[in-house]
Amino acid sequence: MNRWRKRWWMGVVTAACLLALACPQARALTEDEKNNIELYRQLSPGVVNITSTVLERDFFFNIVPRQGAGSGSIISEEGYILTNHHVIEDARKLEVTLANGKKYAAKFIGSDPNTDIAVIKIDAPKKDLVVIPMGSSRDLKVGQKVLAIGNPFGLGQTLTTGIISSVGRTLRSPGGALVEDVIQTDASINPGNSGGPLIDSSGKMIGVNTAIFSPTGANVGIGFAIPVDTVKQVVRELIEKGYYGYPWLGATLMTLFPDFAEALQLSVNRGAMIVEVVPGGPADKAGLRGGHARAQVGNYVLIVGGDVIVGIDGEPVDSADDLMRALRRYRPGNRVRLDVVHWEGDRDRVTVILGERPRRYRYR
Amino acid sequence: MSSVPKVPENLRDVFMSLLPAHQALFRNVLVGLFFSVALLPSTASSLLREELNTIAVYEKVSSSVVNVVTTTVLYDFFYRPVPQEGAGSGVILSADGTIVTNYHVVRGAKAIEVRLADGSRWPAEVVGTAPEDDLAVIRIQAEGRDLVPISLGDSDALEVGQKIYALGNPFGLGQTLTAGHVSQLKRSIRDQGRVLEDLIQVDAAINPGNSGGALVDSQGRLVGINTAILSPTGTNVGIGFAIPVNRVKAAVPGMTSWWNKYLGYILAGLLAYWIWKRIARLR
Repeated sequence: MNRWRKRWWMGVVTAACLLALACPQARALTEDEKNNIELYRQLSPGVVNITSTVLERDFFFNIVPRQGAGSGSIISEEGYILTNHHVIEDARKLEVTLANGKKYAAKFIGSDPNTDIAVIKIDAPKKDLVVIPMGSSRDLKVGQKVLAIGNPFGLGQTLTTGIISSVGRTLRSPGGALVEDVIQTDASINPGNSGGPLIDSSGKMIGVNTAIFSPTGANVGIGFAIPVDTVKQVVRELIEKGYYGYPWLGATLMTLFPDFAEALQLSVNRGAMIVEVVPGGPADKAGLRGGHARAQVGNYVLIVGGDVIVGIDGEPVDSADDLMRALRRYRPGNRVRLDVVHWEGDRDRVTVILGERPRRYRYR
Repeated sequence: MSSVPKVPENLRDVFMSLLPAHQALFRNVLVGLFFSVALLPSTASSLLREELNTIAVYEKVSSSVVNVVTTTVLYDFFYRPVPQEGAGSGVILSADGTIVTNYHVVRGAKAIEVRLADGSRWPAEVVGTAPEDDLAVIRIQAEGRDLVPISLGDSDALEVGQKIYALGNPFGLGQTLTAGHVSQLKRSIRDQGRVLEDLIQVDAAINPGNSGGALVDSQGRLVGINTAILSPTGTNVGIGFAIPVNRVKAAVPGMTSWWNKYLGYILAGLLAYWIWKRIARLR
């Protein structure tokens, strides 16, 4: 009897030990940790390291190859990879290393310096390609958890986590253009993370890590990502055409400030004044006119005589930046109605068919 | 006489009579209810509970944290005045516009401008300072705005490892939320010959410009004022320090009281009187 009881106890103890061994992790981890681990296991194979080789000349004018590292995310089963323009800029050779260590030479598909987005392609078997699904960056909330996977300082497949610090910031891209609704995060983003995905807690890409704000060059807790809604728009055209067409008015604009307007005795005091129209451009075709005379107001020399744009499709325009921002919502070929005040003082409504920004202007 | 809806007295009996017959069903329903309630937040928004908490904290606190922009005047090589802008943060303490910030944010400022979370700008004046605690109180007269004071927590109840959030204006970028944990308590640091004691050490990203901003706990209560960082580069490396809120609670009444302004004059007057008496006695 005693022996049976002993055996029974032994059985219980063994079972307890086995249980304890089998699921210590499941018990010890918090919901947050489990989520992180699950997402990393799921999505890290979809993040690639990109090594670009740029040819440079050294002091003696010898050609020297220099290598740079960046990150990218696989966005389709055909092998398209999303990364930053500044990662692949001027590259002579692009090499992509998948998470499983396999290396592929990549083909350049297209890039847009204004939003700092580029697409490259590799020919890899489908089973090696894990696609990172794209989410939406519209309803992001400050405080939400984000994960960044990338290749900081060439240390591949690094996971960092943080939260969204703010949304709706405007960032100036290396191309000089403004990228709007940029996501700011405190997840560690360092050189080499560029081009990698920023992922939310449900495993969807919400941004492309692009830049950091740092006086030292390394992470200080302020990183920026291009919102995925912008990315989706641009990537589609990059794959189709190799470049992203921007709407183009074909006019050089200047902000009309109230004191200028007062000095020039105009009937409006705010708006975007046309300095010059490109001959044959959309604005020219629609009959908009540029300036023809010089006037000095204070320390400024202005070219005056052009039309002043005060509204676009019923929305008021207060400055040249306002108009540029509004135009970005349209696509080449769209019609916009501009409310215009002519130099003589009469108001008019002009319909302009937007063109596509010519290639030589594309880098502006 | 208002009519009170009458509860049938036998309702409870009716309910109880259901129980024995359908006990198993009742239990199942209960369990089902419990699970559906427990799973509801995660299915409704696909965000984790912790994220929802962080979002709630931000929504609660963000309108109480302000950006403080100061203009100081420096002199260049030819002794010409050069205005220079500095950025810091502040926390609204009461609806009348009392804002606490760091003394080093407003030190030597010729003009102080406060930017509220809604983007509006207001001129501010210094009400009182406590350089030994690196605290200062400024005030704005924001007419037509409902200023939301922050709720104060208890910094003595903090534990190492607790989750905290820092809100501020790093590098003048504007409202920024960063998250981290309490790394250690009761730290003392030496800063420009002055010793700040009993600080909270945190690993949330705190940078220049975060100074004077709020350190809040996971309930959205103020537990500290972000003040300093330890860093060889001058920017965040994961070691930030905050003045505990209990010190703020103790220092603010002294800084805002009316006689604080005249305290120096009163003391100087007493001293002058005392010296005068001594001289009078010597004669």
